[in-house]
Amino acid sequence: MLEIKNLNAGYNGKQVLFDISFGLEFGRSLSVIGPNGCGKTTLLKCIAHLMDFEGNITLSGVSLKGLGRRELASRVAVMSQLNVTYFPYSIYDTVMLGRFSHLKPGIFTGNPQKADFEAVDESIKAVGLTELRDRQIDTLSGGQLQRVFLARVLAQNPQIILLDEPTNHLDLKHQLELIDYIKDWVEKGKEKRAVIGVFHDMNIALRLTQNVLLMDNGKVGKMGDFSEIADSEYLENLFGINVVSYMSENSKLWESMKNA
Amino acid sequence: MNGKYKKFPVGIKYLICVIFSAAAIILGIGIGSVFISPDEIAAVLANKIFGIDLPEKVTDITAAIIMNVRLPRVLCAFIVGAGLSAGGAVMQSVLSNPLASGYTLGVSSGASLGVTLTVFFGITFFGAFTLPLMGFIFGFATVLTAVAAASRFDRNTGSATIILIGMVMSLFVNAAVTLLMGINRDAAKSVIYWQMGSFSGQDLTTAAIIFPITLVTILIVMRYSIAMDLMTFGDEQAMSAGVNIKSAKILLLILSSALTGTAVAFVGTIGFIDLIAPHAVRKVFGSRHKIVIPMSAVTGGGFMVISDLLARTVIAPVELPVGAVTAIIGAPVFAYIFLKKRK
Repeated sequence: MLEIKNLNAGYNGKQVLFDISFGLEFGRSLSVIGPNGCGKTTLLKCIAHLMDFEGNITLSGVSLKGLGRRELASRVAVMSQLNVTYFPYSIYDTVMLGRFSHLKPGIFTGNPQKADFEAVDESIKAVGLTELRDRQIDTLSGGQLQRVFLARVLAQNPQIILLDEPTNHLDLKHQLELIDYIKDWVEKGKEKRAVIGVFHDMNIALRLTQNVLLMDNGKVGKMGDFSEIADSEYLENLFGINVVSYMSENSKLWESMKNA
Repeated sequence: MNGKYKKFPVGIKYLICVIFSAAAIILGIGIGSVFISPDEIAAVLANKIFGIDLPEKVTDITAAIIMNVRLPRVLCAFIVGAGLSAGGAVMQSVLSNPLASGYTLGVSSGASLGVTLTVFFGITFFGAFTLPLMGFIFGFATVLTAVAAASRFDRNTGSATIILIGMVMSLFVNAAVTLLMGINRDAAKSVIYWQMGSFSGQDLTTAAIIFPITLVTILIVMRYSIAMDLMTFGDEQAMSAGVNIKSAKILLLILSSALTGTAVAFVGTIGFIDLIAPHAVRKVFGSRHKIVIPMSAVTGGGFMVISDLLARTVIAPVELPVGAVTAIIGAPVFAYIFLKKRK
């Protein structure tokens, strides 16, 4: 399991995360929710060791801080928001880059082995892009590009996938598809896989899992099953608006369309 | 559908690139005030390398023109073009910025300062090599300073920080050059002449010095092909995929500055080749650096030989500065390549 103990972190002398501790069992997912600037993304960056932090983060008892980049990459992968790329690569080559941490060193650079080719083929198949695998990524739609990056993360074959607003720029269909791929990925390897996702859209967050970490100004506000930990008053304090009435008003609208 | 990830794919595109560069070299040696045909070139080279007797129709004068004038010049142009282009490709990847080049980090302005100081103070420590050596040292020192400052001010040595500091350094050093030139008008003349870039008067010694440096540096850089592929996607993506970004970035910036610095030191600041060659290669072959680096070198070498050929023939006997030729052709060509949508 992933364990985070007394995590403190910040930028340029300004502390962003305050004494965060929680654990996540394999086979589970966690959605991190909170208003802008509460430290959601910073939390992910610490787990992936993309920034310095104080405290301890361990995976199956191994401290992630002490691992080299490659070792870390074979355990933890990050999928971030859609990025624009000016450098054309084919889908296949892009996904192959996910195998970097597994490649055996060669004379010039690591040469892919059979296992690497198989992992890439499987990952591309999992996101449904097999037919397009030779297309250049700068010709893809936002939804397709995001699936390519998901495939790359899958090819990295990590134990933990960290999602940083992965559904930004995606239409509803692709948002749901992406979340379902990820749930499926955890389901297929329950004993060794887990996912942590950071979301603005609470509906998407809850579609991934009801297991929620509510972040409040860089601290763990509440953590657990969403329907048990959150009430209308708490959410209103956290977000500064009445979330529950906003959501239920919308629901009423959708319900009325159902009956019409 | 299978086997799409070729380790070292060979194909018609590669052949065309190599033929283009070979043709550029043959044209570069052949065309000039005296025209020399390809078979004469072959005969002279066979004579010099393998000791095969010269056919009667090939005169000693022809042989002398090839060996003392044209060949050294063409070889220098090719190696310089190759070094600049490979260096540019590395910079663009490492800074994940398709417009980056060795000049972004102040290699050329640093080299200019070195050359200006040499002329200004009449430094002659290293004889004929004083100018290139000072150019290289100052160009390289400028980059090191920029990178060191960037890694000091920004823990992650972010690409935006490096570019910003590089450009500030560049402007500052250029101002120092202008200042020195303002004080000493005679020195200014030689500095401006050097800055325009030229291959005239290069002998085989220059080629013999820059060839091994360029080749070895390119081979070392190629070891980092996949890391460079990942770096085009940005620092965090590369890191989370397993690249030790800070050390890789600093090493690759130093190596690519060595490529650019070596080239610039001997022949002056020549721009645009290092943007055009890598971009043209990416359009044709995609972005994998295992292919982009060597093919940029081959294509960039060819481009440079053609540019130099134009520089010395268009309004012969007057010789144009080759830097002006690469910029005048390069700017519109680059805009076209960069803005044209891929099919």
